[in-house]
Amino acid sequence: MAEETSKKNPEIVGFCCSYCTFKASEMAGSLRMKYPEGVKVIEVPCSSRVDPAFIIKAIVEGADGVFVSGCHPGDCHFIKGNFYTRRKIAALKEMFDAFSMKDRLRLFWVSASEARRFIDKVTSFYNYIKEKNDEREKA
Amino acid sequence: MKTGIFICHCGHNIKHTVDVKKLSEYFKKIPNVTVSKDYVFVCSEPGQDMIKDAIEKEGLDRVIIASCTPSLHGPMFKDVLRKSNLNPFLLRRVSIREHCAWVGNDVEANTEKAKRLILAGLYSSAHYVPLEEKIVDVQKSALVVGGGVSGLSAAIFLSKMGMHVYLVEKEAELGGHVRILKDVWPAGRDGKGIVEEMAGELEKQENVEIFTSTTITNFEGFFGNYEATLKTPEGEKRLTVGGAVLAIGFSPFDPGIKPELQYGKDKRIITTLEFENNSDTLRLPEKPRVAILHCVGSRDEQIGKPYCSRVCCVNALRVGNALKDKHKESYVESFYMDVRAHPKGGEEFFEDTQEKGVLFTRANVGEIIPTPSGVVIRGEDTLFGETFEREFDLVVLSIGMSSPKDCKLIANTFKIALDKDNFFMEAHIKLRPFDTAVKGIFIAGSCSGPKDVEESINHGRASAVKLFGLLNLGYTYVEPFISYVDPKRCSGCRMCEHACFSNAIKYDEEKRVVHVEEAACMGCGLCNATCPSSAISLRGYIDPMIDDEISGFTEAI
Repeated sequence: MAEETSKKNPEIVGFCCSYCTFKASEMAGSLRMKYPEGVKVIEVPCSSRVDPAFIIKAIVEGADGVFVSGCHPGDCHFIKGNFYTRRKIAALKEMFDAFSMKDRLRLFWVSASEARRFIDKVTSFYNYIKEKNDEREKA
Repeated sequence: MKTGIFICHCGHNIKHTVDVKKLSEYFKKIPNVTVSKDYVFVCSEPGQDMIKDAIEKEGLDRVIIASCTPSLHGPMFKDVLRKSNLNPFLLRRVSIREHCAWVGNDVEANTEKAKRLILAGLYSSAHYVPLEEKIVDVQKSALVVGGGVSGLSAAIFLSKMGMHVYLVEKEAELGGHVRILKDVWPAGRDGKGIVEEMAGELEKQENVEIFTSTTITNFEGFFGNYEATLKTPEGEKRLTVGGAVLAIGFSPFDPGIKPELQYGKDKRIITTLEFENNSDTLRLPEKPRVAILHCVGSRDEQIGKPYCSRVCCVNALRVGNALKDKHKESYVESFYMDVRAHPKGGEEFFEDTQEKGVLFTRANVGEIIPTPSGVVIRGEDTLFGETFEREFDLVVLSIGMSSPKDCKLIANTFKIALDKDNFFMEAHIKLRPFDTAVKGIFIAGSCSGPKDVEESINHGRASAVKLFGLLNLGYTYVEPFISYVDPKRCSGCRMCEHACFSNAIKYDEEKRVVHVEEAACMGCGLCNATCPSSAISLRGYIDPMIDDEISGFTEAI
């Protein structure tokens, strides 16, 4: 699957917390900010709802990159859900490192008002993955 | 399964970057899709009728509306399903406007993306089950925190509309900062008179309980039935309230934070508040030389207060005006950045002050040096680009508003957000300026940002109107997105119990399984992600839904 996708543009799956990052992505849309079509987001109630199995499934099924994004630490609607996310993703990254896929997973915090930050974060992630894919293709 | 897909053109908004005809043709061929239509405005009356007709004629059991973002028109589309006798939780909204049409320009790529998004919605909605929203009674009572002008105006309105009001004030007297003002501009009345008139009006009401010298120690629960714990001088008191208005005001900026101003080290350097309260006892010479510094504690990046405090320019003008009235021969110089006389009549007051002879110098004041003969001000004239050094008998600092001292404590107690300047954050700065992210909790007055007396009173009343609108309905819906346990799969490892931070998961020692306390569950889904045996699931976001949504994106199903 990975060989197929590397020829096209990267596919990125994002898990966004419905209180912060999903709101930011809505706002980015309403402000007509542009980001690559390859980025698709899934709404989850809280970033802590993201089971590592979802991330692994997305990667196995051919996503080039996965990001998880929630409220800034300390601002969680559910008080401290994003602290759990932070630890969970750190552990998962360690596991991904063993397969040299650490950079395919990213975690960042975007609050509901930070549409510009959302765009910056997803675009830089997309460009990074694209660069990596191009390098691999050349090799 | 019979799914109906309705794709909205949204006028030209979606249509101009997404090939909607191609999409609706594509989905006609997908199994389980009975109806696939595109329409110019699905949210319009004919659009809603189209959905109703399709549900009734074709017997649809899933409805997918690909249009704007789910938070727009959500309740309206749910009602459409309800009217057609279909459970509203069998509706799936797919955002192809904010998340697709508006963020890319390439028609082909956008159409492909929209296809995947709808496909993800289609796969995910296959796992939807009918859910019931619970109806909960709402207590017709409100907690008002803060007895300043905004809190008083909120409490007066709510009590007159028949809500039981509990007003909590941490000081011994009601009135807040307005009580100590001698002359409230432009009314020309003393602040004490204003607050006592308001407090008198409130005390006349029978359905009001006022707690002074009281603080709030705990606040929990959900809209309609919040539980508040108060610490009163007589002891602890527990209240059940429907909602709350937070009007905890501001704290005046402490100029001691800026050591170059020498505030507190010399009696000749005072703030506008001190000037107002002690103007009669100030010992000034026959022809006093007075300097007024604007923007002390406002528009200052260095001390982390980049905002304009809105009220201090008028306060500074009032000092100059009063001095010129009292001492005709005085020399009064105002050092300003910009004069922003916001309220009604402010510009005229500024002109009047200039005509009376107050000098205005656009300057950055570097330091204040007290000497035996007078207080020396050193600074830079920003219009001429020259440095200056002048001696005065009195320096008045026009201090701004800082966030309230208890802001972090109150924000944590009520679980609401603070903005970057530590004022309370609105749910939306333009569309919902009185609401917080928590339902039934409103903010009023200068705790959401600097405001003058008039604005605070209006803000308080507006928040009260919003809260009254929610409480008066008498009931509320609770979203059914809470966790449930499959006892057959539960191994009793209790990992979810440790993960849950709302203590909603309880362990049954006898059966060796856990169960969820529905009233306490907040619906974050952390337990679902934690459970190693997939025994606990979050309604509305169960594992297969998200799994298949991913498959929709990656097209591997």
